[in-house]
Amino acid sequence: MKILCDRTQLQEAVGVVSSVVPTKSPKPILHNLLLRVDDEGITLFATDLEMAAKTRLDAVKVSRKGLLLLPAREASALLRELSDPTVTMDSTDQRCRIESGGGSFVLLGEDPSQFPEEIKLVSNKRVELPAGRLLRMIQESAFAAAREETRYAINGVLFDLAAGCLRLVATDGRRLALSYQNIDAAQAEFKVVVPLRALTTLSRAIPEGSKDPLQIAVGDKQIEFTFGKTQLISQLLECRFPDYEGVVPKAADTSVEIQKAVLESALRKTAILCSDDLRMVKFEVGDQALRITAESSARGRADVSVDVNVKGAGGSINFNPDYILEALRVCQLDQVRLDMSDDSMPAKFTLGESFTYVVMPISGT
Amino acid sequence: MIRSLAPEVVNQIAAGEVVERPASVVKELVENAIDAGGRRIRVEVDAGGCERIRVIDDGDGFLPEDLPLAFASHATSKLSVLQDLDHIATLGFRGEALASIGSVARASIRSRRHDRDAGAEIHCDGGRIGEPQPCGCPTGSQLEIRDLFYNTPARRRFLKSPGTEKARIQELLAELALARLDLDLTLVADGREVLRLPAGQSLTERFASCFGRELARGLLPVERAFGELRVEGVIGEPDLARRDSKLELLYVNGRQARENSAVHAIRQAYREFLMGGRFPIYALTVALPPDQVDVNVHPRKAEVRFLESRKVAGCLHETVRAALQGRAAAASAGGVALAPELPRARSGFPDLPRDLFGRADGGAVPEPTAATSAPPVVVRDGADRPPFGHKSATQDPAANPDQNAGPAPAARPNPFARANGRFLQVHDLYLLLEGPDGLLIVDQHALHERVVYERLRAEHRARAVTVQQLLVPTVVELHPGEKAWLLEVAEDLAAEGLQVGEFSPSAMAIYGVPAVLAKTAPERLLRALLADDGADARPRLREQISERFHSMACRAAVMGGDRLTDEEIAALLQAASTLEHPHNCPHGRPTVLTFTHGELERYFRRRC
Ligand SMILES: Nc1ncnc2c1ncn2[C@@H]1O[C@H](COP(=O)(O)OP(=O)(O)OP(=O)(O)O)[C@@H](O)[C@H]1O
Ligand SMILES: [Mg+2]
Repeated sequence: MKILCDRTQLQEAVGVVSSVVPTKSPKPILHNLLLRVDDEGITLFATDLEMAAKTRLDAVKVSRKGLLLLPAREASALLRELSDPTVTMDSTDQRCRIESGGGSFVLLGEDPSQFPEEIKLVSNKRVELPAGRLLRMIQESAFAAAREETRYAINGVLFDLAAGCLRLVATDGRRLALSYQNIDAAQAEFKVVVPLRALTTLSRAIPEGSKDPLQIAVGDKQIEFTFGKTQLISQLLECRFPDYEGVVPKAADTSVEIQKAVLESALRKTAILCSDDLRMVKFEVGDQALRITAESSARGRADVSVDVNVKGAGGSINFNPDYILEALRVCQLDQVRLDMSDDSMPAKFTLGESFTYVVMPISGT
Repeated sequence: MIRSLAPEVVNQIAAGEVVERPASVVKELVENAIDAGGRRIRVEVDAGGCERIRVIDDGDGFLPEDLPLAFASHATSKLSVLQDLDHIATLGFRGEALASIGSVARASIRSRRHDRDAGAEIHCDGGRIGEPQPCGCPTGSQLEIRDLFYNTPARRRFLKSPGTEKARIQELLAELALARLDLDLTLVADGREVLRLPAGQSLTERFASCFGRELARGLLPVERAFGELRVEGVIGEPDLARRDSKLELLYVNGRQARENSAVHAIRQAYREFLMGGRFPIYALTVALPPDQVDVNVHPRKAEVRFLESRKVAGCLHETVRAALQGRAAAASAGGVALAPELPRARSGFPDLPRDLFGRADGGAVPEPTAATSAPPVVVRDGADRPPFGHKSATQDPAANPDQNAGPAPAARPNPFARANGRFLQVHDLYLLLEGPDGLLIVDQHALHERVVYERLRAEHRARAVTVQQLLVPTVVELHPGEKAWLLEVAEDLAAEGLQVGEFSPSAMAIYGVPAVLAKTAPERLLRALLADDGADARPRLREQISERFHSMACRAAVMGGDRLTDEEIAALLQAASTLEHPHNCPHGRPTVLTFTHGELERYFRRRC
């Protein structure tokens, strides 16, 4: 193959697909990108066998068609370093010569016929929403997913589409985050768990606030996100996701409304005096005031009171402050609400129009 | 064509299970000698026992009319009816050993009872039993086994070199000997005496004769009674731990026997003090009523099963743990109790009273008349004798007056409490200190780790137990046995912050986990408790919690390579002076190496 194209565009395309290339794989061929050059342009493809990314570059002058494997890490590093606006790539016998601005580089590829095949997803379960909106939903849910890689943890986010509403839910068993979006036109229904890794990769490809459409298609074992010319396909996680609707409290004895910034600052200050091994702060809701305290026999004691709007009886409850701080970090509301009942019952934070967060308290015995 | 096997062949096959190598022959013969009431037992072996094994005892001897039956299989004088199997008080009970040995070697017995004028002799050659002949011989029995496996060349090929086989015999006799301090045992190999164990040695002395003085110095005596169950013996200081488990010696009613949950429980008790991959040394005997233990579960009788294995494991764990903690506690109390002239804190433990591990007096030997006047087939001693060779101190306080006070836990004092405040940091890693006993070299990381660990643990113990509630109960599928156990201990676990309850006939649900372990996957936490079969539930959960403090302490401690100011070193040593366990980091690595005055003087030839 032989092509001439814009360097920045090529660098971006290579960057997008490289994000799925494994850093260390026992199958070294996966460290490559597959480039398929046809009359109109290039299709770039990479996979780690759990996930695959594909993108298309059209503004290319093609002199010779062909297939080629390029080592991903070297190719993207090289494109980043080059400064000329254009590059030419010329390959024969799995050797690819890249020329740009007076420099000439040869990258050794491998046999393209040995590379895994592209997956074609067949599915009629599709929905479409603005890409920036999905990005927010991912941000509002994924942080609550389990990070530890154990057999029992769900390292993924539930995508639940039913009755015209798409819900993204994640939990690590101690807290649960739920972000939802009505999609009127949606007829399809699905309920699948998408690995965190795929969502992190996808998030990197979407600019904040993008209004461009993004399509989600769900098959038996895979999910596919199509955004512009880029596609990301991921295997689904096979696991039983807990019944999240049963977990979200429907009613509460006490409701507290508080400025997000005030709550965040109070928590940050008190958390300093938690002990390392037991991250715990105490919330006491009294008459139009919230008192947050923490105590460690080795460090000392913190006691912060703030004015709040209280409806209901008041009471006290203990939380891991990190759980709340992590959620506040992705919260965009100025005013948040806490609904709580008993010191051993789940508490609900309302952190957005369509962003709900449930935290289990720490109780005594 | 199906044929029944000739009896000789059947015995040869059975012999494979009983007689594996010369050491197993020696074991069977010595056990028989002990069962026959022998007090003085002499073992002679040539070429590692492959050519000749001879065991001579001064026991009751064979009745001449029993001799033809000696080599017959399933012939025993030790039990007659099935019920007897429930309370076996002798080492042998199957009537299998001599038949098996006789079928794979040239064996002979000469024996005379003390009430007969003449002895008798019988041969058995590859399973062919000869006629008894009168002969002259001293009272007692003499069994001789020549040409082991001469007729089963396949087995013969599996024998190791005579040297190796001899070593195994020696090991085996030593192990047997620790259970019976009342026996006088001699091992002669190729004409040379290699083991000489006079009757009446203390357990520590005998340990020293068998395994060397060095090891025997670091032994702590232990003794505890839990109702009908008693645990006694010696346990080794953690720094004696070995890379193999050869000196983990467990006895049940005088019989050396493995039982996995018991061994595991002892190791758990040591865990905090040992490095990974190290095994403690100990010789512990569990004495309990014979009907509480099944000895008939293994062809070579190497394993036993307890009716209540958790209880036994729990008692062992508690005994060992208490002894190790006691030693540490006494150490941090300031070490004043220790005689200053002791060259090393760990030497000079009080020797064990004699009847801890078998009787030094004649009590264990049954009255000869009882055996002679009884019908030929009896269960020796039956229930009137306490479990094999033991007489508990509680039953007979006069035998050992200071027993009830219990041996004061001998302890290594906290070396930092007594250091004089002078120090030097070398290689940004070690601290050299001047202690009252000599020169101390401290690993700064290991010591600091211990300091942080004990602080975290103290902080944890001081506050109320807290539970991270779970959003959705974690359901864990379990074996019925595991589930039953969990239900039983649910309250104990809840007291440490792990809330579990029944979910379905085959599953349990976890509702909350200790808040300090909130990051551990609940199912993994539960499985870790189950995998740790043996000790009690609460200590096991506490260990899981301690594990977390270990890793936190490791991260918080100063590293090797950190240069410390004098103030920092002084503060570290100050903190170390009140440690509960100053000698090991939480992972069991030593924190301090001591060169005693004596050692330094010897090295520099200032004194010999
Ligand atoms: N040294 C000995 N002195 C006196 N009697 C002995 C001696 N050795 C064996 N006997 C007698 O021979 C019998 C058979 O011994 P053998 O070792 O084959 O069986 P056992 O000891 O009863 O059971 P096991 O097979 O479990 O050892 C014994 O029951 C005992 O009566
Ligand atoms: Mg026997």
